[in-house]
Amino acid sequence: METQDIISSGLLELYAAGIASEKESLDVQQWVAQYPEVAAELKEITSSMETYANAHAITPSAGVKEKIFSRINTAENGRIIPINSLPVPGVKVINTNASWKMAAAASVALLIGSIALNIITYNKYNDADRDLLVARQTVTSLEEKNAIMEAGMSVVQNKYSVPVSLKGLEASPDAAAKIFWMQNTGEVFIDPSNLPETPAGKQYQLWGIVDGKPVDGGMILTSKKGDKFRIQKMKTFGKVEAFAVTLETEKGNPSPQGPMFVMGKM
Amino acid sequence: MEVIQKYNEDELVMMLQRQDQQAFSYLYDNYAPALNGVIFRLVSDKTLSEDILQEVFVKIWNNFSSYDKSKGRLFTWMMNLTRNLTIDTLRSKGYKKQNKISGDENSVNNLQDTNSGMDKFDAMGIRKQLSNLKPDQRIVIDLAYFNGFTQDEIAKEIGIPLGTVKTRMRTAILELRKMLQYT
Repeated sequence: METQDIISSGLLELYAAGIASEKESLDVQQWVAQYPEVAAELKEITSSMETYANAHAITPSAGVKEKIFSRINTAENGRIIPINSLPVPGVKVINTNASWKMAAAASVALLIGSIALNIITYNKYNDADRDLLVARQTVTSLEEKNAIMEAGMSVVQNKYSVPVSLKGLEASPDAAAKIFWMQNTGEVFIDPSNLPETPAGKQYQLWGIVDGKPVDGGMILTSKKGDKFRIQKMKTFGKVEAFAVTLETEKGNPSPQGPMFVMGKM
Repeated sequence: MEVIQKYNEDELVMMLQRQDQQAFSYLYDNYAPALNGVIFRLVSDKTLSEDILQEVFVKIWNNFSSYDKSKGRLFTWMMNLTRNLTIDTLRSKGYKKQNKISGDENSVNNLQDTNSGMDKFDAMGIRKQLSNLKPDQRIVIDLAYFNGFTQDEIAKEIGIPLGTVKTRMRTAILELRKMLQYT
């Protein structure tokens, strides 16, 4: 068959339209392989048929493509993909399947849960820490108070301690104080708890009367608001006739200047 | 609309044989409108048409290994696959094979004017050109190309001897080619 006869037969057109019989198709394929002229003619025909089809193209809805891709990716799950059908290097195929999405979602949920738990735990830890601090402070202050009371008690209970009551005088008839004088050492302690509050800028001073003259016995801390209101150690007197307390300016004076509040003889 | 041609047909075929999804995406973008148009001509229903289009592309993906480059162009293979699947679907759904092509002489102009996204040419312009095609020529092309009628069926449909289907087909397509040259 001459190439021109082949071309004009109409068989190429039938083939291009996809309606050639099996025998006709085989013939066409053979001619195409054999004659470049025929191949060129078939190419012309098919491309004009493509153009014809394209002229009637209707763009499908946007969702169709996604559906197709989701189907081909779902179908691939669990399927063994032959080595030669793996994607070519350099071209990245992102294939996210549902189980990974689930895993990712679960991870995020766990992370959020963990963070929340950490915050709660941290807050609890802070609370506990604060409580502990408060308890420690309480213990410390109780221990301090206890130490003070023990010290006071040891003074009172000391077998050498001689108590001396100081009675209120004209300036303050209700005032009172107690001296504990240690016979063996001459140490002097005073319990100022029944002295009135000192006015601002003033402080009580203890005097020991020795040979009829007042000798400085030290400054007394009497602030009831503070923590120093307690039985306190004063200056030592080896020999003393009486004790007196006067209200002096702060830091005291070498000889009594202010009014006398309490006094007691040995 | 100008779209840069990323792959030539050989590259595309090679990548599709390796089940490259990027190539498949490209294939869809470039051929889905034309194939959808073919389906629509047979089913005249947008939803059904797109359902079948889905099946077509899933089948293209799964059966790509059966495409033989030496037997013809990629589009021809997809076109035949599309047409056969559509006809099978219509039969399985109890549709009767259409005895007439839709709308006869108005069929070309009646198609909805959609932005087909076809980049290489102006679809509207070509449709206008095609409207000059004589109805008896266009019928031969449409019955074969779109409706997948056998030569025997075409002969019966338009009332010509079986032996002249080939020559009628040849004349019609020559006319088509001539028209396309002027666009």
